[in-house]
Amino acid sequence: MKKYQFAVWCLWLAGGVICAVGVAVSGSAWAQESVSIRAMLTKSVPADDPTASAWNSVAASQFPMSPQVHWPTRIQEVTVKDVRVRGLHDGKQVAILLEYDDPTQDPDDAAAIEFMVGDKKAHFAHGQPMAEVEGGAVNIWFWKNKDAKALDMNAKGFGTLKVQDQQDLKGKGVYQDGKWKVVFSRAVTTGDANDTQFNPGEFINIAFAVWDGKKDPASGDLKEKGSQKAVSSWWYFRVDPQPDYTSYFYALLAIGLAAGFEFVVIRKLRKGPSA
Amino acid sequence: MKVGTHLKPALLMVGLYLFLKFVMPLFTAPLPASLIMLYLMLTFSGIMIFMTLSGTSMESFLGPIFRFISGDGQDGTMKMARLAVLALFPLLVGWQTYTSTAPSTAPPAENRTVHPAPPGEFAAMSNPVPNTPENVMQGKGLYAAYCSPCHGLFDGKGPASRGFNPPPANFKDPTTIAMLQESYLFWRIKKGGVGLSVEGMPWKSAMPRWEFELKDEQIWKIILGEYDGAGQKPRTWE
Repeated sequence: MKKYQFAVWCLWLAGGVICAVGVAVSGSAWAQESVSIRAMLTKSVPADDPTASAWNSVAASQFPMSPQVHWPTRIQEVTVKDVRVRGLHDGKQVAILLEYDDPTQDPDDAAAIEFMVGDKKAHFAHGQPMAEVEGGAVNIWFWKNKDAKALDMNAKGFGTLKVQDQQDLKGKGVYQDGKWKVVFSRAVTTGDANDTQFNPGEFINIAFAVWDGKKDPASGDLKEKGSQKAVSSWWYFRVDPQPDYTSYFYALLAIGLAAGFEFVVIRKLRKGPSA
Repeated sequence: MKVGTHLKPALLMVGLYLFLKFVMPLFTAPLPASLIMLYLMLTFSGIMIFMTLSGTSMESFLGPIFRFISGDGQDGTMKMARLAVLALFPLLVGWQTYTSTAPSTAPPAENRTVHPAPPGEFAAMSNPVPNTPENVMQGKGLYAAYCSPCHGLFDGKGPASRGFNPPPANFKDPTTIAMLQESYLFWRIKKGGVGLSVEGMPWKSAMPRWEFELKDEQIWKIILGEYDGAGQKPRTWE
């Protein structure tokens, strides 16, 4: 009889665990798509080293790329199909690493990161003007292989790209085994109103662009240049805040309360006449 | 004590959970976790009401549970099982508390209206281009040149579509052009993503503003070709 009793309790237990795990898994399924990138807090940021081992300590988010078709001059096919992105910060400096496959290293290979700047939403294609909504500008970080540096720029619509007077950006690319690794770094906050400011803990929009600087062997023209590039949609980026341990405190408190509850119930059952 | 007193409710709960979680999505959309939890709670309440209807049923149902919790006359495996349950319960409560109070690392939820209302001037237009085989064919030709890189073979899966969020519309899906009027498509093609109102999140759409590159007549022809190619009919005023 006791054998059966035990089996029944195991079933109850299994049912409870399945419910809890199932509910937890189905609840977190929304967050598992790669829609965001977080710059993790670290002691020192590899601001100009795309191959630093520190990058291996954070997981990469992968974002798909499309040919730029929103505005002429369009392009129908691009080399780079995905970018993998990692972020690190130490409270003062923030660094973002882009990594993507490119079969050839060319002087005109280039990559860019885009953010909205100011309090208005900006269209992902260079902050194109919108018909019904007043849009804002974008802050573009642009790196080109042959320049060996990154430029801090702004735009509000195609054809309005402008290099900022105040350059706050560093950029470095390393080509290895058919892959580009490009690191961009900047202070978390700058005094420049044209720059995107990173408020730790707050998600902001981020987008990417990549140009394969390969030349067409017949014509000698660049395959991808200007608006002919691989682009991503807006995704989310945040600089992680300082760790917050209050939820561990609440969990310990809850464990204490639950154990106390058990104690009271058992005492009551042992004393009570019906038990 | 009859084994069925506890085995049946346990099997009912587990069976119901498996049904809601894995069988229901075969017929409908996956149920949200909160709804599954609600159904399980209702079932549990039902079981409790049924089992406590009379003094006898209450004793046969709750008696063994109370004796298990209080640990009366237990030894061996039962003793171990009781300790395990007593230890697991506070841990489960602690874990639930942690997950519900831990700072969120998820980006903000987006509430995009897929088909926001068009501006007034686009509300009551009808297609001035007659629906003839020739016009449909021309429309399909224009569609192939301008639309298919993203919208593909009317399924939204063109070679240029993979990086865009929101993804290009799938015209074969009955919730897209089949439930819209031709005038709505005319507005969306002519003004593009940047023509959307604020609830349509115009800053995310890659749809070009074709009024700069296509004549109105070409857009109307594309609409004819689009419905024909997708095997859909425009919604009309009933």
